[in-house]
Amino acid sequence: MSVIIEIKDYSWQYMNTRQAALNDINVQVKEGMFVGIIGANGSGKTTLAYSLNGLIPGQYNGIKHGEVLIYGKEVEEYKSGELQKFTGMVFSDPEAQFTAMTVEDELVFGLENLGMSIPEIRERLEWVTELTGLETMLLKPPYELSGGQKQRVALAAVLAMTPKLLILDEPTTMLDPVSRRRVFEVLAKLKQEQNNTIIVIEHNLENLIPLADRMILLSDSRLILEDETQQFFQNMELISQEGIYPPGALQFFYELKKAGKISDTLPVTLPDASKQLKQLFD
Amino acid sequence: MNKTLLGYVPTQSPIYAIHPFVKLFFLLIVSLFPMFVTAPEWNMLLMLVLILLMWISRVDMRTLKIYVPVAISMGSIIIISYILMSGTHPEYQLIARFAGIKVYWERVRDAIVVYFRILPMIFTMVFFLSTSRERDVIVAMRTIRLPFVVTYVFAMALRSAGMVLEDFQIVRQAEQARGFDSTGKSLAYKIRKYVNYMIPLFALSLRRSEEFTNALVARGYAFTGEASRVKRADYVLTHYSFKYFDAIFTAIISISFIALLFMRYGYDYFAIDQSILLNWLKNILM
Repeated sequence: MSVIIEIKDYSWQYMNTRQAALNDINVQVKEGMFVGIIGANGSGKTTLAYSLNGLIPGQYNGIKHGEVLIYGKEVEEYKSGELQKFTGMVFSDPEAQFTAMTVEDELVFGLENLGMSIPEIRERLEWVTELTGLETMLLKPPYELSGGQKQRVALAAVLAMTPKLLILDEPTTMLDPVSRRRVFEVLAKLKQEQNNTIIVIEHNLENLIPLADRMILLSDSRLILEDETQQFFQNMELISQEGIYPPGALQFFYELKKAGKISDTLPVTLPDASKQLKQLFD
Repeated sequence: MNKTLLGYVPTQSPIYAIHPFVKLFFLLIVSLFPMFVTAPEWNMLLMLVLILLMWISRVDMRTLKIYVPVAISMGSIIIISYILMSGTHPEYQLIARFAGIKVYWERVRDAIVVYFRILPMIFTMVFFLSTSRERDVIVAMRTIRLPFVVTYVFAMALRSAGMVLEDFQIVRQAEQARGFDSTGKSLAYKIRKYVNYMIPLFALSLRRSEEFTNALVARGYAFTGEASRVKRADYVLTHYSFKYFDAIFTAIISISFIALLFMRYGYDYFAIDQSILLNWLKNILM
């Protein structure tokens, strides 16, 4: 797998602020990976996402040090609109990213920007509405939908552009548990069927962990932990110190481990946890 | 039911068969009709036609009730400015005098003429807004090949108006949840307290515009530069076709307008002195 994102000694400080929003970040992301980014509010997660999409430094003033390379090229070296052809971004507030009057217009807007033909647009539209289950909502105004439906529209609008790299900034913050799960079901489908590289910033770990190949923990503008998901959550002490609350099952096994009742690797998903629990009882 | 700009119209309404361009053309041309018609009975007839069109389009006629206060207040302003504050005009025909105010026939006549000119214009707008969706307006504009950026900015303006109203409701509810209640307070107090709404609304608008710009950039849209010169396919327009009856309606509207101008300036039709209503009213008052 080739490296598609390479961040080297990257720091970013917004204009008129005293502290850097990101400090000395070094990350590599390989093609087809699903990466979860977690951290407390204000730790720099959104700034990192914006840096990958070219919104930083394109839309914001500030001081940049280091390099952010996407496909081996610095983000600011891409011409306007070029990076967006293969980098899609879904924001936390779906309503703020709607640019059209109907769901259908919203979904085709990005495709029109790419200069696609009508038959190509039609084909992509059919594919993405089926993938995200939006077939019956095409003629509705997006802002009249429920929170979960809105976020699916926002996700579909980006997916329609078939970006190789998909960045989601807290996509389920405003959603109820059922809608949250539906968004992650779509992401799971993408991971299995499309081999997209997906980066998800998320506070809700229950749905993220089973999908993530790697996890990144940001704290106070710095990257303090990065590893494969299974390994990442073996550092429960550090994770807990940072105010991150992993799923109940993981915490339960962590408590058992602290009490010396188990010595195994902590299970990170529910099926693993039940398997381990069964073994304990046996 | 389909949501329109002013309410809801059943999906089965025949208005949906009409191309959005025809609806916009109707609004732009028919709202000009009263400008060339001074005899109020013709403008009343136009209003009746518009009500009939709304009925045929299955617009919920109860929504028209909300315009009654508008019509009354507009009428009051016209009466005050034209009749009660008209001043002294020795050349006009005096029909009454009370409390030092002179009421002239010409001013009463002008007030009626103006009132019945504005009302059909409002009716035309209400008809358009009641039967059109935001998308129709955009489609109509794109049909006449207006540049994408123009139609897009217009669409954004429509959308941001809705967003500001939504934000206003949220801020208002937040203020009320914290015990702010202006019921029974003076108008001056209410105006002063409106600042409470304006400051957070302004801050929210700034944030919204930043998020909106980010959303546009993230989806590869640019107002300038190479990305703005991409040849765009207009997918939305593929859902609409200009049918033979659309051409007939467009022709009827155009011919009606030309005929109106011809009759008005060629044969002096629709003029004040030809008004049966005004002549009848003059006979009663004078």
